[in-house]
Amino acid sequence: MKKSFLAGVGLAALFLAPAAAYAETPWIHVRVEEPEKQSKVAVNLPLSVVEVALEAAPEIIESKGKLKFGEKHGMKLEDVRKIWAELAAVGDAELVSVEEKDETIKVWRQGDQVHVRVEEKGQEEVRVEVPVSLVDALLSSEGDTVNIKAAVAELQKKRGDIVTVSEPDTTVRVWIDEQNAQE
Amino acid sequence: MVKLAAVLAVPLALLATVASLGVVVVDVQEGGPDGHRIMVPVPLVFAQAALAAGPIVAEEELRIPDEALEHIGIAREILDALAAAPDGVLVHVQEPDEEVIIRKVGDKLVVRVHGNEEEVSVNVPLSLARSALPDSDGRISTVAMAGSLGGVRFTDLVEVHDGNDHVRIWVW
Repeated sequence: MKKSFLAGVGLAALFLAPAAAYAETPWIHVRVEEPEKQSKVAVNLPLSVVEVALEAAPEIIESKGKLKFGEKHGMKLEDVRKIWAELAAVGDAELVSVEEKDETIKVWRQGDQVHVRVEEKGQEEVRVEVPVSLVDALLSSEGDTVNIKAAVAELQKKRGDIVTVSEPDTTVRVWIDEQNAQE
Repeated sequence: MVKLAAVLAVPLALLATVASLGVVVVDVQEGGPDGHRIMVPVPLVFAQAALAAGPIVAEEELRIPDEALEHIGIAREILDALAAAPDGVLVHVQEPDEEVIIRKVGDKLVVRVHGNEEEVSVNVPLSLARSALPDSDGRISTVAMAGSLGGVRFTDLVEVHDGNDHVRIWVW
């Protein structure tokens, strides 16, 4: 009786194990909605596929997962890395504040999130929230490349919103969970 | 009578054998129920034999450029990763006059397009897509593709409804 019970449990485990593994598969979801155009786009991908796909652009992604940054964007990545390390020691702080006649840009760190707000004429145009650990992972390489592989590895551990962008006519949401979309 | 039966039995048995090995059917219907209909059944065994006998003819046409060749390994890895991934909706685009859904269902990528006047349904077996990738010399093996068609029997590969026209390709 005991043997057959154990055999039954073993068989059940054998059948359920793949399902359990699937249930834990992290999925990255992207939603772009443009209500005025009545347009909705949803992309859902297992992170394992994203990781492989990121290696598909060798001209952009150098040496397997390091995105070239360079000086043409105004600042060397090395400098960004130093600033980021110093800010990490400070903790919560306002990183950037630009106030112009019609536009306000603010970037600040609060807890484990980096927040970006762009307001035009007092109305919120863009809101982006990025986990601090994701920035840490991106900057974990050396030289003038960001580490995409480390960022993907970090994403594997993340659950919840990664980026949200709210504009008057478009909303974008990127998040990770273990739900595979079924329409 | 027995002789006639024996004579008929041979081609019938041959036909049954060929059919049992699989048939790709292309069915084109134009202009609604009263229009033209062309149905072409191609036994897989004949297709495989023809492709095996004459691959050199198509070799150059089925060779992909060197610059694209470096991405083939990645494409193969993506297909493998997709095959190992759980099922789900990968892409869903909703617009006022069109809806596109790409789903992974088992070993297939299922594409559905619903438009105002057209309906498109494509089922791509991942094994078939994998066999369509070229080798390290950039050559697409038609023999491997024909072989993998045998592994996706009883599958509707393509179905298009466009107004009164209807095209369906399936493997029986």
